[in-house]
Amino acid sequence: VAKTSLTSPPWPEVKLPDPVEEAKHHAEVVQKVNEMIATGQYGRLFAVVHFASKQYKITSEDLIMMDNVLQAECGDRIRMEKVLLVGADDFTLIGRPLLGRDLVRVEATVIEKTVSWEKINMRFRKKRNYQRKKIITNPQTVLRINSIEIFPCLS
Amino acid sequence: MVLLSAPLWLRSRLSDRFWRVQEVLKYARHFRGRKNRCYKLAIRNVQRAFVKSTQARKQKKRFLRALWITRIEAASLEHGLKYSAFVSNLFKTQVELNRKMIADLAIYEPKTFKSLAALAQRRRQEGFLAALGDGKEPEGIFSRIVHHY
Repeated sequence: VAKTSLTSPPWPEVKLPDPVEEAKHHAEVVQKVNEMIATGQYGRLFAVVHFASKQYKITSEDLIMMDNVLQAECGDRIRMEKVLLVGADDFTLIGRPLLGRDLVRVEATVIEKTVSWEKINMRFRKKRNYQRKKIITNPQTVLRINSIEIFPCLS
Repeated sequence: MVLLSAPLWLRSRLSDRFWRVQEVLKYARHFRGRKNRCYKLAIRNVQRAFVKSTQARKQKKRFLRALWITRIEAASLEHGLKYSAFVSNLFKTQVELNRKMIADLAIYEPKTFKSLAALAQRRRQEGFLAALGDGKEPEGIFSRIVHHY
C-alpha cells in the first residue's frame, strides 16, 4: 500500500531501550558509583537540603541563614535529615523525593541567633489622614554546615 | 497647690524638634533635589518610599519566581526540552526540587541539570507509550475502527 500522510501517526515514534539490557546497565552503574563512594574518589560534595520550609544548596564550610527561631542553643550540632539531592563531580544521587537517612549525613552547628534589620511596614491613603507605621524585626539563626558525608549503601 | 483645669496649665514647647526632624530626614538622605534637605518635602517622599517598599516585598517573590522560570526554560531548551515538559515530567517522577534550586543547579551544576533533563525526557517518552496503549483495536463493536486500504 502506498504511504500517504496519514499512514503513520504525526508524532515521532518513540522506542524505549530493551528492559533486560537496561537493568544490566543500571546495575553496572550502581556498582561503579558504590565503588567510587567506598574508595572516596569524590572531591567536594554538594547537597540540596529542605530546611525551615525552604530548599538550600549547601557544601561544607557553608553559612546558612534561616528567618525564624531554632530551638537549639548556640554551638549545638544539628543533623539535617531531609536531603533531596547529593552530588559530586562525577555522579549525582537524586532522591524521590528524599534520600535515605543511611545514605547521607549532613551536620551543622548553630553559630548565632540574631534579629534582622528593622523593616518598615507602612500603609498610607492620600487625603484621608490614614497612615500606619510598623517596624518589624524577624529573629534569624545562622548555621554553619560542618560536613556532608555519604555511605556506599546503594542498591 | 495642684492646678486641675487645663487652660490654667502652662503651654509646653517642644525641645527636641531637631531630633524628631532628623528621624525622618535620615531616611531621605539619598534622595535627589531639595527633598533630601527640607522636612516638608521629605516627609511626603519618605512616606511614599516606605509604602513602596512594603508593596515591593510582596512583588519581589513574584519577580524572582518568574526569573527562575525563565532561567530553567533557557537551560532546558539547551537540552531539547520545553519548560512545561521538563517541570511536569520532573514532578511526575516525584523529584520535589523547587524552581529556585533547579535554576541554581542549572547555573552552577550543569552536569546535574543535564541528568535531570534526561530523567524528564525519559519519563515523557514512557508517558507517551503508556498513553498510546498496545496498538490493538479496542473491544466492542461501535468502537471498532474501519480500515480502508
